[in-house]
Order: sequence, then structure tokens, then C-alpha cells
Amino acid sequence: MSKKIAVQIDDLTVAYNYKPVLWDIDLEIPEGVLMAIVGPNGAGKSTLIKSVLGILKPIAGSVSIYGKPYEKQRSLVAYVPQKGSVDWDFPTTALDVVMMGTYGSLGWIKRPTQKEKKAALEALEKVGMLPFKNRQISQLSGGQQQRIFLARALVQNASIYFMDEPFQGVDASTEIAIINILKALRKAGKTVIVVHHDLQTVPEYFDWVTFLNVKKIATGPVKDIFNDDNLTKTYGINYKVSIQE
Amino acid sequence: MSSAQIEIQLIASLVAISCAIPGTFLVLRKMAMISDAISHSILPGIVIGFFITQDLNSPLLILLAAITGIITVILVEYIQKTGLVKEDTAIGLVFPILFSIGVILIAKNANDVHLDVDAVLLGELAFAPFDRLLISGIDIGPKSLWVIGFILLITIGLLFAFFKELKVSTFDPGLAASLGFSPAIIHYGLMTVSSVTTVGAFDAVGAILVVALMIAPAATAYLLTTDLKRMLIYAIGFGVLSAITGYWLAHYLDASIAGSITTVLGLVFLMVYLFAPNKGVIAVLYREKQQRTEVSLLTFLLHLKNHNEESERHVNHLNEHINWQKVRSKSVLDLALKNNMIQLDDNIVSLTEKGDEFTSQAIDYIITNEDAQIEDMKDDFFLFRG
Repeated sequence: MSKKIAVQIDDLTVAYNYKPVLWDIDLEIPEGVLMAIVGPNGAGKSTLIKSVLGILKPIAGSVSIYGKPYEKQRSLVAYVPQKGSVDWDFPTTALDVVMMGTYGSLGWIKRPTQKEKKAALEALEKVGMLPFKNRQISQLSGGQQQRIFLARALVQNASIYFMDEPFQGVDASTEIAIINILKALRKAGKTVIVVHHDLQTVPEYFDWVTFLNVKKIATGPVKDIFNDDNLTKTYGINYKVSIQE
Repeated sequence: MSSAQIEIQLIASLVAISCAIPGTFLVLRKMAMISDAISHSILPGIVIGFFITQDLNSPLLILLAAITGIITVILVEYIQKTGLVKEDTAIGLVFPILFSIGVILIAKNANDVHLDVDAVLLGELAFAPFDRLLISGIDIGPKSLWVIGFILLITIGLLFAFFKELKVSTFDPGLAASLGFSPAIIHYGLMTVSSVTTVGAFDAVGAILVVALMIAPAATAYLLTTDLKRMLIYAIGFGVLSAITGYWLAHYLDASIAGSITTVLGLVFLMVYLFAPNKGVIAVLYREKQQRTEVSLLTFLLHLKNHNEESERHVNHLNEHINWQKVRSKSVLDLALKNNMIQLDDNIVSLTEKGDEFTSQAIDYIITNEDAQIEDMKDDFFLFRG
């Protein structure tokens, strides 16, 4: 396989108060994969994403997006933070939150115009949330809030999507809607990286997987490396999942 | 109204607007207490500035005091970052120390100048018109009016320029960082504006009222709207309203202007807290009562749907079957009748077509939890909202 490398991480170490939470990570993510990052709580999954996006400063190592530092490639990357990381009582509407996805391409000071609004409405349509566009965000269900976050990433029209637990606390129909959108993104040649908790659904949803527990355990195609051996190495107990062939 | 009275009200109003703008973002960022810290700990900056310039309205004094405000924020964050104490403890440690340094400096050196602790705490709005700004001998108004006017102009300019950045970094700092809008720059920008505003307002209204003018109007506005722009406008409105009402209250009571304005701010908040249409205490209580009634109604309808035997549906024995007090059974029965959900034949209750359909829809919703089925019902009943 001679695919382009979308994200390259070299010797990345991140620490909170001098305690390493990620240790010497080397990771290559090929273009066009739909990849799950799995690992136990505190394995550094969110930290890995945040370090790639420049939200956290690593103490060592480097990250590049299509061969250049993230700061030069922001327009190629979209980010869906954990739903719980924001205050949903904030006085704003669904449409307005999705519009925030366009702020990056606008840059400082410039305000969104009709063009940005149209893009946001289209993204809302894609996630089936158009009827809720003027709803205050606290009046949305957990699944609807997650769809709004997804729409906000779609409106960025990026090449690489980082998502931090997009399936957390959503109902079954939203989970299906989200995974269909993720698969459509992959089909369009985008790279999608998802922090994921539900090991049972990894083979069904994803084609690429990275096992992480402070250090990188393994990375590669799901069909080659998603096995009891790697699960045990990652989760530290004798882990068995039944993988449907 | 004398010109001094107009000038005082004008100054109070401009101070209220200048405070409401950063105050709105402080409230949304859950940083209300940091304004308390800033307003107290800029005192040493003011005192030192005053010794140098002998003028409470000099730009150098404002600059020095604003720097003290930023130092406060940095100190609080530094102490908090060590992880040894929580943020509120860090705030409680930093500002009393800086404030008391200011108090000692005043007591040691300022006995013969117009700067005392009372003025610092409560302001001297009534004296503001006496300190005039003269340009080549021509009186162009009170100095503090010009100072706060200038600060307000800059604040509004910054708000218009960086509204989108303020909004995104307040709502979702992670996204803001990933989009390239450094949350740190916006954070310290907001802290600088808050500090400068505090200094500008300090002379007029004092350390305690500054906090009230920053937080109370924003907190009041928050209860009334779900739109950030409106929240800003309402906060400004409440601030100005309280400033002017407070001035006249002080006038009639012959009391402190600052104290009266703060009292009005508190009363306005209390009114909105009680009577706000959606988030107000009374609205919430009313909604809860409605919901209890609706749940009872639904339980009652389900009971009728589940039981065909007449013994379970006799009007005089309903309360025994669903284990309710007689009064409650009666009120639920009346509600169902009023809504044409049930009919009575010979004291035997049965569902009407409408009642039957409503009950099926409600069961569907409860089982599947799918929102589409409930959208139409939401208009009629609180039960399914939120």
C-alpha cells in the first residue's frame, strides 16, 4: 500500500505536571482510513488528539499533517470535542454553534456572512437537524447535541476529522446516523480518527485501529490487528471479544 | 435637574455599560469571582499611581492599576496550577493580600490627600462633577466622565471586532484553539478590559459596586434570554436602569449613591429571578406542578387502556385501583373529561377515540424515545418538553 500519510506523529511525549500521559508515541495514519483509537480510561486518547491539534503542548516530539506542522494546515483539519467539554446552557442556538465551524476559514475579526450561514444550514440538513436550527442548545437531547457538533465539523469541509467520543451518551438511531456520516466521509476520501469506547463495534464501524495505553501498543488494519492479544496488552487483563467473521 | 445631577447620572450610566460588557462574558465563563479579586487588588496600583501623579484620573494611574489587575489574574492562575489549592481558594488568597498592601500604603502616606478607604470601597460619585477637565482654560465636563467614556469607546470597539472570537472561546475553548484563536490571548484580553474598566469605574463607584455592576446585570439578563447578543443588550439595559433608579433612590433617601445603585441591582435581579417567564422560580414551580398533573393524567389513561373489566373502571372506585387520594382522582378525572379524553356511561369510565390515540402515542414515545413522534404533542403538554 503506497498511500499518502495524512497524520505523522514522531516521538510524542505529553505530561501533566511532569507525569507523562503519553510516552514516546510514533504513529502514522494513512489517508482515507476510518480509524478508532481505543484504550482504557486514562490511556491518553483525548490527550493524543489535543496534542495533534495544538490544544496541549507536548514536552517532546512532533506532529505533522500532510508533511507540514499543524499551524500551517489548520484548514485541513476539523475537530469534534467531547460533548461534555462545553456548557450546553450557553445562550446560543443550534445554527449558531454550527456556524462556529466556519470561523477558522474566516480568521480574526471577519464576521460570518450569508455564505457561511448557507454552509451551516447545509451541514444541519446532512445530520438531520435542520428543523431544530433555532432551538436553544440546552433544549436538545444528548444525541441531537452530538449531531450539532458533527455538523459543526462537517461545515469546516476538512480533509481530516478528529472526533473525541462522538458516540458517548447518544441513542441508537443517532449512533447509526453518525456512523453513516463517518463512512460517507471515508468514501469521499477523507481521513477520520475517532476516540472510541465500545470495543464490540470496532470491527463493524472501523477499518483501522490504534491501541493506546500511555504508549502505543499497536496500529494497523482492524482485520489484521484487532485480536485478543492486542486487547490484553492494552487493557492489562485477559481480554476476549468475539469477532464476527 | 441641575447639571451636576445630569452629569452624575451620565457617569453612572456609562460606568454601568462599561461594566456590563465584560461582565456578561465573565458570568458565562463562570469567572464572576475574578472581578471581585481584580476590583480589590488594583488598590495598590491606584495608590502608587496616585503618589506619582496626584490625580485619580491620570492615564498612568489607570495603566498601573490595570497592570495590578492582570498580575492578580496571573498569580491566581499560577497558584491554582500547582494543584495544591482550588481556584476559589487561590482567589481568596491573592486579593486580600494585595488589597491590604494598598490599605497600608494609604494609611502610611496619604493622610493629607484626598484618598481614603471609604472612598475606595464605596466611591464618591456625588463628588465626581467637582473634578473638571479643563482644556486651555475651557471647562469641558467632569474628568471621570471623559475617562469612563474613553474606556467605554475602546470596550465597544473591541467587542465589535472580536465578538465571534469571544463567543467561540467562551463556549468551546478547545475548538477555538484548534481553529487558531488562542484562548489565552482572548482570556488575557478580556482580563485587561475588565481591569481597565474596573479602574475607570473605581473612582466613581468604588470596589464593591464595580463587582455588582459587572455581575448582577449579566446574571439578570442570563435568566431572560437564550441569545448572546440579547444577553449583552439586556445586561446593559439593566445596568443603566439600576444606575439611574439608584441615583434617584439615593437622592430621596439622602443616602449613598453607590449603595442605592447596588440595592436596586439586587432588587432587579430578585424580581427577574422570581418572575422570569421560563427560568424564573415561579415559572419553574408552575411547570413542575403542571408536569405532576400530566403524569397523573397519563397514568390514569394507561390504567383505562389496560383494563377492560368494568370493576376497574367505576368512577367511585378509581382511587382505590390506582391508589390515589380522592381529591387527586377527582381533579385528574375532571382534566381528562375537559380534554375529551374519556367518557362516562353509568359511572363507568372509558377512553374516547381521542384519549385512546393520545395514550398510544404517549406509550410509543415512552418505549422508543423517538422525538419525531412527540413533536406535535409537545405543544399541548409540558410533560414532553426539555
